[in-house]
Amino acid sequence: MTRSVFFSAAFALLTSAALAHHGWGSYDASKPVTVTGPIVTSKFENPHATITVGASDKVWTVTLAPTSRMNNRGATEKVVAVGQNISAYGYPSTVDKDEMRAERITVNGKTYEMR
Amino acid sequence: MTDAAPALFVALEQSGFAATIRQSTWLYPAANIGHIVSLTFFAGAVGVMDVRLLGGLAATAPARLLARARGFAIAALAGMALTGSVLFLAEASHIVLNPAFQLKAALVAAGLMNIAIYELWARRAVEGLAPGASMPARAKVAGLLSLGIWVAVAACGRSIAYF
Repeated sequence: MTRSVFFSAAFALLTSAALAHHGWGSYDASKPVTVTGPIVTSKFENPHATITVGASDKVWTVTLAPTSRMNNRGATEKVVAVGQNISAYGYPSTVDKDEMRAERITVNGKTYEMR
Repeated sequence: MTDAAPALFVALEQSGFAATIRQSTWLYPAANIGHIVSLTFFAGAVGVMDVRLLGGLAATAPARLLARARGFAIAALAGMALTGSVLFLAEASHIVLNPAFQLKAALVAAGLMNIAIYELWARRAVEGLAPGASMPARAKVAGLLSLGIWVAVAACGRSIAYF
């Protein structure tokens, strides 16, 4: 009984602010982009590694893959470290105009698949 | 993206424990697997209970069958809550705003309320019954609601990644 009361209260709290969240469905595969530039910030974290890239037009947030897959593909924390020059091919988010999901990345002449 | 989330969930995401979850190679995937494994046990136990309430599996007295399945269901629900918390904390400020998650939270609350209502209002009428006895309407309603709600919870859970 107390548990259901707790959940009701929790839910009332949760719904107090509702906004659309971007998920894997909200990337526009019909408009692929290539983002090239130095890595500005790098979060080698789950559920997806995320970097920001200082491209010529703007700073892009580039969503990569889960860390275990990154490591398996050779795209380790050192490869996607701050300061590295990267080229990321992928799909822009339809929700956040400065974000894209990378299909593949190229660092130091080496290409790593993210899927 | 985090500016619209309530401060509590931003703080949860920024906590040391949440950072540990994100920075560990295995913690997040392990929680993901654990969540699914718990789900299979939960679905199995709840399915047995709901079918019994609806009048199936009637060779055994309801009290016995329900008591057995209840133990599994509670353990599995605890496993889901634990692993789900790990998955939630890693991205709390995003997940809390996710419409599929919000619907899931509401449905979990509804599922728990359905359990509470059953326990208070129907359990006694059910557990005195002999094998093969027809089930009271309130038990059937509880069983049907439970099946529908928990299947919807699972569907919403999987949908979080797509909204």
